[in-house]
Parts: sequence; C-alpha cells; structure tokens
Amino acid sequence: MNGITKRYSDLERAIDEVRALLDRWSGRQGGAGEPVPDPQALRYAQLILHEWLANLLQHARFEERTPDVRIRVRTDGAGLTGWVTDNSTGFDLAERLRQQQSRSPSLPERGMGLRIIRACAADFSYRQDENGRYRFTFSIPADHDPWLSTLF
Amino acid sequence: MSFTVEPLAPDTVVIRMGEALDFRNADDFKSTFQDQIDADVRNFVLDFSKTAVLDSTGLGSIFSLYRQISPDDGQVAFADVSRPVQVVVQLTRTYKVFRQFPTVDAAEDALISA
Repeated sequence: MNGITKRYSDLERAIDEVRALLDRWSGRQGGAGEPVPDPQALRYAQLILHEWLANLLQHARFEERTPDVRIRVRTDGAGLTGWVTDNSTGFDLAERLRQQQSRSPSLPERGMGLRIIRACAADFSYRQDENGRYRFTFSIPADHDPWLSTLF
Repeated sequence: MSFTVEPLAPDTVVIRMGEALDFRNADDFKSTFQDQIDADVRNFVLDFSKTAVLDSTGLGSIFSLYRQISPDDGQVAFADVSRPVQVVVQLTRTYKVFRQFPTVDAAEDALISA
C-alpha cells in the first residue's frame, strides 16, 4: 500500500472514512519495497483533509449537482502528496486566505481552517483543471515542522 | 456526539469530550459549557482521552469558552490529551494558554488547590 484513492458523494461520510483509512495506513508495517509514510506527516494529512472536506461541506456551492469528490493520497516513502477534486463552483483560495488572515483576532472562534491547512502543508493550491473540475493539491515533507500563531 | 459533565467542586467541572470536537458538534459543546457558566462554574477540565478529532471549529469553541471565563480568573485545562489533539495543540501553540495535565486527577488537584 502506498496510498489511498476514494470517491464520494457524501462529504460527511468522506470525512470519517478518510480519517479511518489514514489511521489504518499509519498502523501498517511496510512490506518489501512498500513505502511507509512518516507518521507525523500522516497526522498532518488527516488534519488537512478534515479541514478541506469540512470546508467543502459547509461552504462549497454544488448548485444542482450531486457532489462528486475524489481523494488521493500518496507517499514516496517519507512525505506525502495528495489531491481532492470536486465538481463545485470553486472559490479563490488565495483571496479567502487573505480574508481569514486580515480579520483574524487573537484566539479566533472561526476562520482558522485554511490557515491550519497552510501551516500543515509545505505547498498547496486550488485550481480549476482542464475538465472544469476544481483540484486542491497539497504536499507534506517528512521533516515538516508547522506552526500557526493563533495567540497574538 | 454529546458531552458529559461531572462536577469536581462548586466552581469546577470536568467535561468528557468524547470522540470528536469538530464543526459538527461545536455548537453542542458551546451549549454544554454555557449552561455551566450560567451556573457560576469558572474552571473547566477538558478530558481528551478518547478524542480522535479536534478541528479548527472545535478549537475555536474552546477559545470561546476561554474568552468568557478568563475575565473572572477562570481556567481551562486540558487533561489526558490524545495524540490527534496534541497535534493541533502543538501546531497552534495553544499549550501557552491552556495548561495540560497527564490525568483528570492531576488537573483537578492543580485547579482546586489554586
């Protein structure tokens, strides 16, 4: 096993199942030649995917379409890369992050989700692909040491 | 997903956080602690021993609790913090605001003797 690939129309189910799948992956011993991800990177991936799927569930506009969300996470034997594609109308991730950052008080009650994703991922993006779907991608190196200031 | 409250002293309770505190039950948590604040509870021990999920909305609801009780010298303490919760605590550096204890008993001793 070097990753997971799943497809969902029920986002709430996706949140719980993906977390459980990554838990099981974390508990596996790698076989011969089977890459095993860094446990801490897996925990960050769990948090990123939870926050992203929660963001889609609460805020994405699917209009008349049934949600179609595809999730993939892979390891090269240390860090992790992943993507989530969706058939929503999308949003401007950079602008949303700027808004969260600009209006974030100390110890905020809301608006930390995308900032947590930014802290956990070394790199991430959300763009429309050639098929008109939106694709969120992220990468987490094995030695990633994130932090997010919520205090000041 | 509900929260269980157990009194430790007239102004101190422990809340068993259960499996998750996230965007799906943060409002339930807020109702739970608001009832206690209305009953003059000021110190809260949050037992995270069984908690597999703490997300940004869940953490925000704990910040909301802290903002309400801190003007009255109230405290929020984290007890028996599970690994998934510890990831969020470390990431957000909230251990600088919320004292952590290895067990609920240790938190109770510290808060009640304070």
